[in-house]
Amino acid sequence: MSQPLVDRHDVELAALAAAGGRREFGELVRRHGSAVRGLLRRMGAQPALADDIAQDAFIQAFERCAEFRGDGTFAAWVKRIAARLYIKRVAKEARYVAELESEDVAPATDHAGRVDLDEALKSLSEAERLCVSLCHGAGMAHPEIATALNLPLGTVKSHVKRGLDKLRARLQPEPAQPLGRTQHVG
Amino acid sequence: MSADEFDPDIERLFARAPAMPDAALFTAQVERRLQKGSALRGLALGIAGIVGGVVAVRETLTVNIGSGDGVVAGEALGQGVRSVSFNAQTAIQSGLDQFGLGNLELGSMGGMQMFWIAAGALIALAAAGVVRLSQEV
Repeated sequence: MSQPLVDRHDVELAALAAAGGRREFGELVRRHGSAVRGLLRRMGAQPALADDIAQDAFIQAFERCAEFRGDGTFAAWVKRIAARLYIKRVAKEARYVAELESEDVAPATDHAGRVDLDEALKSLSEAERLCVSLCHGAGMAHPEIATALNLPLGTVKSHVKRGLDKLRARLQPEPAQPLGRTQHVG
Repeated sequence: MSADEFDPDIERLFARAPAMPDAALFTAQVERRLQKGSALRGLALGIAGIVGGVVAVRETLTVNIGSGDGVVAGEALGQGVRSVSFNAQTAIQSGLDQFGLGNLELGSMGGMQMFWIAAGALIALAAAGVVRLSQEV
């Protein structure tokens, strides 16, 4: 009796998918679909666009499955494909070229005064958000991002640095409040 | 990324996939697209195979039966075969006519025609390769 798909490793599933196994590839989509969609949303894509690009990325990954050697994780590989597809899309619209410094928006917080990553990313400018997500979400190196976005390397580095500084500030837990005091965040 | 920009906490947060309530729907959509793409590819290959096969059969029948006298020992049997092959040829020819391939005569093509067809196919292949390469780059 063959091993159930859920018990198989990504590399094994990818090898079977490369031989035309659509069921095996479906299992990979089930495992990593949300991660890829999530990354695209973090990069700044609207949910519908993020889902479209994620689908395209998975279709492309299926067609190129034989190229996946298992050097990194399958999720990271598809994320890079998706990131590149998104860059192509925004490059057409030339959105990232414009230095749209969005106003710092106070992100929503939970009861403990913490913010989650998705909320914190909203406080970054579009360019910062894209560069930080490409760097930390898609695992792309700065020169790679600079080439993909057609931006100077120094600009990419400063976007990433400023973005990370903002994220750290947002993600830092609020200092403990004395009991009985109302918490104000903003 | 440089060492001072590496932040394990940020990395960990990015590595955590957000929960998507419609994850099953997304998976189903991708699977449907894969299925559709595969079906279309199969259909295109099937049609190409059938057309190619029909052309090949017609060419074979034309060659063998056109010079079929004396190949079959019995006169009656020979006539029967000729009749069947004529019917088959007629049916195939009408099928090819429907696809606009009725006048396609591989054997009658000159050397230059074959050369240009082969050159065209090679150029199309090269163009497809360049497009694919540019997509990957």
